[in-house]
Amino acid sequence: MEMNNDKAAMALKPAGHWERRLPLAIGMGLFLLPLLGIPVKTYLTLTIAGLAMGMLLFLVASGVSIIFGLMDVINFAHGALFTWGAYVGFSIFRLLNKWVDAESVLQNVGAFTIAVVAAMVVVAFLGVVLERVIVRRVYGSHLFQILITFGSTIVLVELIRVLWGPNDEVMPVPLRFQGNWDVMDVIVLRYPIVCILMGLAVYALIQLVLKRTKLGTIVRAGVEDLDMVQAMGHNIFLLLTGVFAVGAALAALGGLAMAMFTLQVYPDMGSTYLLFAFIVVIIGGLGSVTGSLVGALIVGLAYNYVAYLIPWAAAGVNILIMIVILLIRPTGLFPVGK
Amino acid sequence: MTTPTPVQIFRSEERRERYITGSFFLKIGLLALFILVPFLFPSFKSVDLAMKVILFATLVASFDILLGYTGILSFGHGMFFGIGAYSVAFLMGKYGSPSYVNLLFGVLIAAVIASFIALFISFLSLRVKAIFFAMITLAIAELAIVLATKLTGLTGGEDGISISMPGVFSVSFTLGKFAGVEITGRTVTYYLILLSCSALFLTMLRFTHSPLGRVLQAIRDNEARAEALGYKTFIFQSIAITFGCVMAAITGGLYAMWVGYVNPESSLGVMTIMLDVLLMVIIGGMGTLYGGIIGAGFVKVTQTFLPDLQDLAMTLFPQAEFMHHIFERWLLLFGILFILVVIFFPKGVMGSIRDYMARRSR
Repeated sequence: MEMNNDKAAMALKPAGHWERRLPLAIGMGLFLLPLLGIPVKTYLTLTIAGLAMGMLLFLVASGVSIIFGLMDVINFAHGALFTWGAYVGFSIFRLLNKWVDAESVLQNVGAFTIAVVAAMVVVAFLGVVLERVIVRRVYGSHLFQILITFGSTIVLVELIRVLWGPNDEVMPVPLRFQGNWDVMDVIVLRYPIVCILMGLAVYALIQLVLKRTKLGTIVRAGVEDLDMVQAMGHNIFLLLTGVFAVGAALAALGGLAMAMFTLQVYPDMGSTYLLFAFIVVIIGGLGSVTGSLVGALIVGLAYNYVAYLIPWAAAGVNILIMIVILLIRPTGLFPVGK
Repeated sequence: MTTPTPVQIFRSEERRERYITGSFFLKIGLLALFILVPFLFPSFKSVDLAMKVILFATLVASFDILLGYTGILSFGHGMFFGIGAYSVAFLMGKYGSPSYVNLLFGVLIAAVIASFIALFISFLSLRVKAIFFAMITLAIAELAIVLATKLTGLTGGEDGISISMPGVFSVSFTLGKFAGVEITGRTVTYYLILLSCSALFLTMLRFTHSPLGRVLQAIRDNEARAEALGYKTFIFQSIAITFGCVMAAITGGLYAMWVGYVNPESSLGVMTIMLDVLLMVIIGGMGTLYGGIIGAGFVKVTQTFLPDLQDLAMTLFPQAEFMHHIFERWLLLFGILFILVVIFFPKGVMGSIRDYMARRSR
């Protein structure tokens, strides 16, 4: 109860109270720090790349976060679903190679749209199967959930190796998505801008659905107390399957977009980005969509700056940030519910 | 004299029956089998297989202390195993020389480092939720692999480090023939590791049967209740994690002694070591310790003879291209087996046997 009172007291303080702005200001300041070691133009390029990477990580992490928030399930198979999304998109691009290589923007965008829709539909279906057949059996036991989703990862990744072969492949990218703009001598790649816009759009859409629709209200209520939602007469099993499918589809979108970003697909790509997603949700707070966005941007930016300054430390910096956040604020930046 | 408590009655019962049950003779028989392996099956392949079964059974038992007895899933167990392996390799190969002292120090240093890291991780993650432990250990284990691969100057990178053994453990050492089998340094190493692993295993058995172990099981079964009884779950869990991880590190050091080299994939890999260990503990049965021997035996034997099985399948069904594909992706079969066991036999082989015995004796 005391906690709640504290929170209420915090909320009563005026929004502009300097104490609340301080962490934000320090955080912002930290991201200007790399300017000391990086020329301004490179800094801008890196920032755009970092924001793009952050947005893609957000797509993966938001799925992990929502699924945990609602179902209390840590989905270790999310990385495999991510890889599936990338591979389905890869196949579509191969099939539509005429559209992919065409000069016309319309055909390029058409190919991209078809790939995105196909990847999301296929992986959402996989997600439904996964939830219905496997995960549902182990609701309530974190241990078995982790074990069983980890087992599913093995199966899904091995299926990719059987279907698409075990080797790295070069990801085709529609022609107009490649290349760059030259804005005042700063090289701005096109595709990262697309990623940033896509990420913002997805974030806006999620927030819109969660905050403005009845379905969103039910989902948010479910995060707080699932049993009560069931008692109110809603079919929570359908809801859980649906949310799992949406999370899977977001992972697929993230996988496809990330494969286009890094220009390659390989069967193990999921495990790398699953780790990023875990770090993101731990930083941002499990269950929070906004937390995922902020966490993802922090991770994306920090990774890019450090990869430029000290290449070998890039993998460590995110874990370092995670450890610091866990020490200061164990529940993450935007703790949610429960 | 006061009347004994139910726990005391249970313990005295256990103590009385300890040396007369069938399972006791089974364990002695198993140990005898492992002792006789170099004489019964002197080929390199079979001794190597037996040694790996022993090493992995010990590693799985140490993992079981976390998973089965404390209810905490760690993906970093392979990392602690790797810390042990690398520590021995550093002192025996890259930054030292093969000597008995360095061997001992390698294992000791590994144990100290592992205990510090384990304490740090448990402090970091257990404050919030036990599931954080799985996520954070996965992240840190991946970091360890990246560091071991990228810091080529320090760790030898992907090539890893080769080590040679001192004195009586070296490959060139020989004691002459005994019972028709040549006793080489390798045979001596085999027995040293068998002895060490048995000691580790007994230590872990003692740990789980101690009052501390019982508290851990209480926490695993109902954390809220254990906390309400006045046990500081955080401290007990940290102790269990540290103990299990130190055991894993020592096992890793022994592993490096046997295989003679370490590299990131074979000693640290999440998808190699961790996957095997998870399969073994699930198949053998969580929370049984002995299940690890069954699991390790099954997985290692299958992995060793899989190529033979594949050849057999190829000769039996030469036209079945599909079979060939499936066997090439044996991990797929293991993955499916893993899921099926988790769903249908969550107690594993050992747990199911124990359930059956308990039902029969009632």
